[in-house]
Amino acid sequence: MLKPISQESSAHRFHVLAVILSLLLVLSVPTFLVACGSQPTTPTPQTPSAVAVELQIFAANSLEKALPEVQAIYTQQNSNVTFADTQFKGSGDLVSQLQGGASADILITASASTMDNADSNGSIDASTRVNMFNNDLIIVKPKGSSTKIDSLAAVNAPEFSRVAIGDPDAVPAGSYANQSLSTVGLYSDSSGKGGEYLEGFGDKVVVQSSVGNVAKTVSTGDCQLGFVYTSDLYRYDGIESAFTVPADTHKAIVYPGAVVKTSKQATEAAKFLDFCLNDPEALKVWSEYGFEVAK
Amino acid sequence: MTHSAVYRIVNALLFVLLLGSVPALPQAALAVEQTQQEGAEQQAADEAVSVSQNNDAAKMAGFDSALSAFARYNSGTGRSVGGVDYGYRYPLAGADALAVLAVEGLTYVYVPDHIAAQFHLDIRDSQVQAHVAQLLEALDVAVSNGGTTLLQLAQPYAFTSESRLNHDGFAIEFGVEVEPGYFYTLISSSDSSDPSHVAYFAETALLVPADSFTIDAAPEGLEAFWNFLGGIDYRPFWVSLRTSAVALIFVFILGLGAARLSLRMNNRVKDVLDSVFTIPMVLPPTVCGFLLLVAFGNSTAFGRWLIDHGIELVFTWPAAVIAAIVVAFPLMYRTTRGAFEAQDSDMLDAARTLGWSEGRIFFRLMLPLAWPSIAAGTVLAFARAMGEFGATLFVAGNYAGVTQTMPIAIYFQWMGGRTDIATFWVFVVVVISFIVILFINLYASHTQRFRKGSGSGAATDAPSDPSANQATNAVSNGSSASQTMPVAPVPTQTDTL
Repeated sequence: MLKPISQESSAHRFHVLAVILSLLLVLSVPTFLVACGSQPTTPTPQTPSAVAVELQIFAANSLEKALPEVQAIYTQQNSNVTFADTQFKGSGDLVSQLQGGASADILITASASTMDNADSNGSIDASTRVNMFNNDLIIVKPKGSSTKIDSLAAVNAPEFSRVAIGDPDAVPAGSYANQSLSTVGLYSDSSGKGGEYLEGFGDKVVVQSSVGNVAKTVSTGDCQLGFVYTSDLYRYDGIESAFTVPADTHKAIVYPGAVVKTSKQATEAAKFLDFCLNDPEALKVWSEYGFEVAK
Repeated sequence: MTHSAVYRIVNALLFVLLLGSVPALPQAALAVEQTQQEGAEQQAADEAVSVSQNNDAAKMAGFDSALSAFARYNSGTGRSVGGVDYGYRYPLAGADALAVLAVEGLTYVYVPDHIAAQFHLDIRDSQVQAHVAQLLEALDVAVSNGGTTLLQLAQPYAFTSESRLNHDGFAIEFGVEVEPGYFYTLISSSDSSDPSHVAYFAETALLVPADSFTIDAAPEGLEAFWNFLGGIDYRPFWVSLRTSAVALIFVFILGLGAARLSLRMNNRVKDVLDSVFTIPMVLPPTVCGFLLLVAFGNSTAFGRWLIDHGIELVFTWPAAVIAAIVVAFPLMYRTTRGAFEAQDSDMLDAARTLGWSEGRIFFRLMLPLAWPSIAAGTVLAFARAMGEFGATLFVAGNYAGVTQTMPIAIYFQWMGGRTDIATFWVFVVVVISFIVILFINLYASHTQRFRKGSGSGAATDAPSDPSANQATNAVSNGSSASQTMPVAPVPTQTDTL
């Protein structure tokens, strides 16, 4: 007699608890909505001289550590300018994303060809296009690894079973790497895209969706070698340079920047690009991370 | 400032509470401590020299001078200033800064004359040279981060106070003021040869008295863990919660509606409809994401029509909600439909003979009977919405504080080299998932037990007034409904999970 009653009452408690929980959940939603709605609309103090501006930047994945530091310096000097969450992805992804309807003010890619694509898509204002940085291509290995490479062709040595390379269609570092590999016969197309890897070598190649992923998989030891930019060394722990790819085996590595055509704050965006190139404090950041500000 | 501090503390407390519910906390804390200590140990390897936490200052026992404002520049620039070409230049820490330039075969260390005099340093003294080199090497190792270090170069140092010198046909100038207040090391050539690859890298630092600053030990143990928690951006948690909660409201209503709708259909239509409702569960999330992007994006007529009418969804928070709804909906729909289908149609017919309207039957009979399944489906749908990654990344992107949910944060933090933060989020997601499954299991076993219990006690415990029991039925379970409805015991439909 007693047992079923006590079970029933505890079951009651349980159901009441369930109802309260679901009520809480439902009630919490408007609160969140209000909270989330109120954050962006909080009026930023506007002085007549400086209208608050929030710039959205799409930047090559390799700039992930350096660019936010430069942005912080810029906001310090120009308190009316803040930055939305900057998107760091493979340059090809960013161009597709812009074409797909994402809104941004500035695009910085890691190769001239990806910027050319953005230009022919009509995504950028070509008159604002400017070469921002030079970079070098290197082969990295896990930190402390004893492997030695003295030539480009050595990446096909039997001791290496996995070599990380960026997807040439989305990751400029990947197409630069393939251009270099084509000079030693490991890749079939000298443009770095659309070709095949040499039989045997192709099985070793692990294609990655961003240069950051290349660096990361090498740092974890999952790949013994990877093709990244010099600047990637300084933003990732756990990798070290094994070989500097000769600059004459691939196209010059240039990072073009441009104001996006649909930007509603094009003047402010252009100002920031100019700041990146000419400010001595910004230069310190770029130099630290190995980005050579273009001539 | 205080607001953000409070927010930080609240967040940290929240997670400490959350983590506290799992006995694995000590190990997790330990793991974080260990990763933080690794860096410190590396520095400690350079016995006598102690390096500041942010790697910009170093001092050593037995040397009255120390280095501060240290920086290593892995590249310089050939960019001209105000139309003037200065060759290739590396920044310096100031007018009085030490300049280090690693070129092939040797490393120049420039100490301005007046600074050497001020610190009573004879830079030709090998003891002084060794001390300065040791300080530089310790700082260099701390910031080189995989680049070639001074130690690895293992080449002789050339200490100099000459501000101009020649190296291999290139002119090197130290401490040149290019812009007001900004000093540089310049490398230039008289002919057309490229000065940009003369140096491997450059470094700079200021000489300061050793007693002008102290170096704090790196925080350890709980303090390090606390600092770690305080440094985490908790927005992915709130974004996840917000997105899944809003998605859940839609999923709940749509799922129930679709399940009810599919019951009324004739069989052929039902099969087709059922496939449509269920397909997001079978499709890879990237396919859902792709289709959503095509539907709402800029590249199709429909998407452009929407955008022209002010509905810009792609890469916004509503897109994340839509993605979550699409992937979570089938879970709600299928569990609910399963429960509805298992209900005894005789019982429903009996209700109809009593004159109940279809609406009343749905809300007063079917829903209460199916409630355990609905509850489980709701929790599962919520968990699925929280775990959504592929479709969200496709249509909503990765905007911190807007669309960056926990799964997306894990991927991008890992990719960005911040494995410790990724680990933290993994831990949080595992804990949440564990709680969700535990909740479903407890709930299921509870209703199961209750049904058995009430079955045996039904004859004596059933309230004499059936209507008094209806309130209980409305929130609870199927078997007690069998007490009020004149039908055979309902078959097990509640614990399909």
